[in-house]
Amino acid sequence: MFARPQWVILLLLVVAGLVWWRAPGGERQLVRTALIMGTLVELKVFGTNEDELERATAAAFAEMRRVEALLTSYRPESEISRLSRAAGPFIVSEETAALLQRGQLLARQTGGAFDLTLGQLKQVWGIESDRPLVPSQAELQAALTAIGPEALQIEGRSVSKRSAELQVELGGIAKGYAVDRVLEMLRQAGVTSAAVNAGGDIGLLGAKQGQPWRIAIQHPRKTGELLTVLPLVNRAVVTSGDYERYFERNGIRYHHIFDPRTGSPARGCQSVTVVAADAATADALATAAFVLGPQQGLRLLERLPEVEGLLVGRDGGIFQTSGLQREEP
Amino acid sequence: MKRIWLQRLTAFDRKLVLLLSALVFLSFLVPLRQEAGARLLVESGDKTLFVASLDQPQLVELSGPLGLTRFEIKDGAVRVLSSPCPNKICIGLGAARHSGDLLACVPNRLVFRIAGKSAEGQGYDLLSR
Amino acid sequence: MTSSAAEYTELERVRRRVFLALFIALAVALHTFEALLPNPLPWFRLGLANILGLTALFIYGVRELWIVSIARILVGSLILGNLFSPGFLLSLSGGLLATLLMATSYRLWQAKIGPVGVSVLGALGHAGGQLLIAWLLIIRHPSVWLMLPFFLLFSLISGIVNGLAADLLRESLLNHPAFARLRKLAG
Repeated sequence: MFARPQWVILLLLVVAGLVWWRAPGGERQLVRTALIMGTLVELKVFGTNEDELERATAAAFAEMRRVEALLTSYRPESEISRLSRAAGPFIVSEETAALLQRGQLLARQTGGAFDLTLGQLKQVWGIESDRPLVPSQAELQAALTAIGPEALQIEGRSVSKRSAELQVELGGIAKGYAVDRVLEMLRQAGVTSAAVNAGGDIGLLGAKQGQPWRIAIQHPRKTGELLTVLPLVNRAVVTSGDYERYFERNGIRYHHIFDPRTGSPARGCQSVTVVAADAATADALATAAFVLGPQQGLRLLERLPEVEGLLVGRDGGIFQTSGLQREEP
Repeated sequence: MKRIWLQRLTAFDRKLVLLLSALVFLSFLVPLRQEAGARLLVESGDKTLFVASLDQPQLVELSGPLGLTRFEIKDGAVRVLSSPCPNKICIGLGAARHSGDLLACVPNRLVFRIAGKSAEGQGYDLLSR
Repeated sequence: MTSSAAEYTELERVRRRVFLALFIALAVALHTFEALLPNPLPWFRLGLANILGLTALFIYGVRELWIVSIARILVGSLILGNLFSPGFLLSLSGGLLATLLMATSYRLWQAKIGPVGVSVLGALGHAGGQLLIAWLLIIRHPSVWLMLPFFLLFSLISGIVNGLAADLLRESLLNHPAFARLRKLAG
């Protein structure tokens, strides 16, 4: 056999091929978790250089903490908290102004179902405190005055509120925005494949080792069961559900997604999952579609370009946009 | 070179191979314990506070900055029973059973992580909820 | 032939050393080649390198089997860069138990047993030795033993294949003029 050179060459080629096939096994996955913005943030990054990945994830978490300090209402020194306390026009950073503009646009697009100014409403329900309560009708009405898409006047970096008592609350968009920032930091660091999961707000960078990321959607009523799995590349996925944050009074379950029209928890859906190009949009639209209920919510998601969604109605019926690709289990 | 392969076995070889094949076949029939188990790790900050197998049912209390968080391991899954946090999201999250699943009580700084079983088996990369 | 009997045995000794070195080199090459092969599970190894150990056993004897096996594991691991790593420990423990079984069976039933019988015993010993060390040192978890039946079945088949290959190799080597004297001894 070895007397013939073509056999030796063939053998060498096979060995070379196998060496080449084994060599790119150098691609590593780094998983890091941190508690930021009141939620568990999980970061998965793929790459070849572990030190670089470590640096990139550290920078990404630092960026998320910066966004937390800037935008969350439970930090009294955040720009958003100071804006809420301000009586007259208030100068914010360009970044905050830009995000408020986007939020306002989304509020208009959703007919007010998404709202940036529900801070007072959250306070009267005490949903973030350890003693939530069901407010009276009068309290609700007071909390709802002056809210809406036109409640904020944004001119350049100057923001004025329609009423001095108005409390700005970016809960429905800030987490998604932070996820987008994390992906942007990773992209700048040269990472081409990564996933962030900030308590259900998922952002995806590229694919996972050449395959789409497989994103499972939690069943809103059966814990541990999956509704479906979505194969996705370069997309953001956000699920809003009534099952995660709630309290019960007199046998009624009150959850944390409020309908700006009534001031009470929205009752049309069990959960809404939105797939969009960025997590801030997906975050806001998931809240909006949840508030609107399955039929109207579905219509909203169908109307917007590059947006897909999966809605579970009050009675468990499933609605989905025409372009949504699911993996059948 | 041209002999067929069976002729390369001596009579003793054939008996030996038959006997060993029978033993290997028998080893398939012996029930060798239950399904391969996953482990639960509870972390706070950079420290791992608690490690246990999910096969072993138990009730555990761990303390964080706010106080005691009680959780149970049952039927191969872990769930939080009570926690001194305001929103009780950790309880609302339900059970975690697959490798890579995470639960957390954010205010009490506890992260519950399932490790051990191959993460490929669960059929997804991330869970949106 | 003008050479004396003393020179003749000296030639035979040198020949044996050269062939042993060749066996070890080939075994190391196969060991490395196997590590390159795509394999779904880390522990399912074909054990192709054992073909050389078997051939050494049947051409020369038990001592040569030990030399080829141990040298192959040490040099092979050195080349793969996993010397003294957990993977190496698995390889070593499996290799030692396999060699022990092969040597013992050859001693016990030298007249009756052929390469396939020895090879199958060695392969099963390899599987058992690896799992034992894996369980003792690396993953002290009963689930390790869940893999045992599949592992044994795989070893059984690869053991037969390796035994046949070793027999073929022995046959073609004994036909070579360099082994003419040995062939006469073997009858």
